[in-house]
Amino acid sequence: MIELETYFFTILVLSMFVNLGLALYGVLARPSLVKKIIALTILSDTANTFAIIVGYARWPSPTLPIKPPVLTNLNPSQVDILVFSQQAVDPLPQALVLTAIVIGLAVTLFLVFLTLQAYRLYGTTDVRKISKLRG
Amino acid sequence: MDVVTQLLGIIVPLLALAAFVIPLLSLYIKKKGFFDVYVTGFSTLALLISFFTALKVINTGKPLLYAYGGWPPPLGISYEIDSFNAVLGVLTAGIMWFIVLYSVWYSSHMDSYVWYYTLLLGLETGLLGCLYTGDAFNLFVMIEVLSISAYGLVAYYRNKPQAIEAAIKYGMIGAVATTLYFLALVFIYASFGTLNMADISLKAHQLPFFNLISNDIYGHIMAASAVALALALWAFTFKSALFPNHFWLPDAHPEAPTPVSAALSGLVVNVGVYAIIRFMYTIFGKASIVGTIGFRDVVLWALLILGIVSGLVGALLMIVQSDVKRLLAYSTISHIGLIYMGASIGLSSVSQESMSLGLTAALFHIINHSVGKALLFMATGILIWAAGTRDLDKMSGIGRLYPAASLAILLGFFQLMGLPPFGGFFSKLLLYQALISAGLIIPAVMVILISAISILGYIKAMYALIFLPPGSEMTKKPGTGLASAVVLVLGVTCIILGILAPFYIIPWLNNVVSTSLTYQGVLNYINVFREALLKLMPG
Repeated sequence: MIELETYFFTILVLSMFVNLGLALYGVLARPSLVKKIIALTILSDTANTFAIIVGYARWPSPTLPIKPPVLTNLNPSQVDILVFSQQAVDPLPQALVLTAIVIGLAVTLFLVFLTLQAYRLYGTTDVRKISKLRG
Repeated sequence: MDVVTQLLGIIVPLLALAAFVIPLLSLYIKKKGFFDVYVTGFSTLALLISFFTALKVINTGKPLLYAYGGWPPPLGISYEIDSFNAVLGVLTAGIMWFIVLYSVWYSSHMDSYVWYYTLLLGLETGLLGCLYTGDAFNLFVMIEVLSISAYGLVAYYRNKPQAIEAAIKYGMIGAVATTLYFLALVFIYASFGTLNMADISLKAHQLPFFNLISNDIYGHIMAASAVALALALWAFTFKSALFPNHFWLPDAHPEAPTPVSAALSGLVVNVGVYAIIRFMYTIFGKASIVGTIGFRDVVLWALLILGIVSGLVGALLMIVQSDVKRLLAYSTISHIGLIYMGASIGLSSVSQESMSLGLTAALFHIINHSVGKALLFMATGILIWAAGTRDLDKMSGIGRLYPAASLAILLGFFQLMGLPPFGGFFSKLLLYQALISAGLIIPAVMVILISAISILGYIKAMYALIFLPPGSEMTKKPGTGLASAVVLVLGVTCIILGILAPFYIIPWLNNVVSTSLTYQGVLNYINVFREALLKLMPG
């Protein structure tokens, strides 16, 4: 009998790999530039979610009771800090994701501009037609 | 902390700031001369700082570490410079300095120089940041800084359909590549609990160390490192245009403005090679867990074979090109193949001496190729500007009108061809010797074959540009003094690299490699990180 939590976790991870595959298919195989950009954002969002999962702390769990990870004392004792560090999620992946989102925004915006410019110059956003139209 | 270390920490953020200030300044200052001086000044500063950093690192024989914000390495971002990336930093800042000088001439024919200069400084920020960083995530950020500047510069002539198409190709797949590198970092962080390169290396080499700050190893680290390495290598081979990932380069490099083509072909591709060497030697070296399960050998064999294929494909396709910048772009692919052949020599069966010989050859070839390729793009840029076309047939004999640029072009082609008194000859010879001494006979023969095939392409370009009689309608345009001076200085550098190579440069570079990429060098790299961490611990 599989534990319910493990079952859901496995499904989550597997679905993310499927998502990665779909996004890669979208970027590499779809002819429309707009759909390529959408697939690209799906790809980077999947990678970001993956990073978030890495920082996930299994809480609440039977050994750690439901209590938000907040330090209530101004001068926490060592025990307080130990309990806190077991409950709180790892903040670093969140910082990484924040950075990656900002960078992804810049890249996506740039690609959207390029697509617009390609539409102005070629009159289409279909890469097959664009490569044919190139003189 | 001494002055050099402080300046090292300042230079990359300062360059980024300087780049973003340009558009603001342009609202008030309309003189082009001011921005010429501004950009030249900052690139000179970058050159000086990278030079003094390299001097300090090589004199003390110990890597230099700068921790941002005073946070010790595994907590904060840190820059760690060993002799290998110190040399590459000087090379990058030096060639970038020449490119900026050339841009002063080139941008006087452009409609708007403001955004061009902004992106150019952004490119330099990205290049130096990628080379100097000691943090794997910071490498990701800096690769993105570099990439966005590069995409922007490729699409600089935004009303040219080809430029837009090339930029889309480069940008779309480039974004996928960097996202996959981010995914690789997630795997690394999940298993090693750290993103600092020295810390990952420490854990991958299974060296004992009490870690209060950095997390413990979690899960199956061999599988995780293998997956991470596979994803990261895809991104880096894309950036350096190794064979199956080379498709974007012949479109993107020629469409950019000429000085940027020089920077992309001469410097940006080096970053990918540097990152792969850093990952395969410093982080996951021969003695690391990846080395012991044989996965590293598979990767290095793959890189070696792809290097050979890349060299052959580049050399063969170069011959049929009629566009001079495309021809040079294919030559870049060919030379990157050669560099990868040297860089992938660290197989477990190869001795330490052969390994450092091969890496020396790779490093020396990176230097020779950067100088030669930047020179050729810039010198042919003068002729392209004069002829108004990139077609070799229409440009025939134009070089006769510009003797200084033509002389530089000849020197540059001799450098890339590998003619004896030039640097390119000695690095190819060294690569051949290294492969022979490592027992890799077929790759060694391939070095000669690739060089032989590529000579055809170079001769075709030289013949068309310089030796054919010029057409009667061509007239000489004045005002190329600065550009000609820049390319001539680079041409003289090619000769100096060649003449000094056997007596001075090769032993020196060998010393650089053996203090940074051998097992002892990796231990030094880790030790500096350890010392920085121990300073924090009481007692």
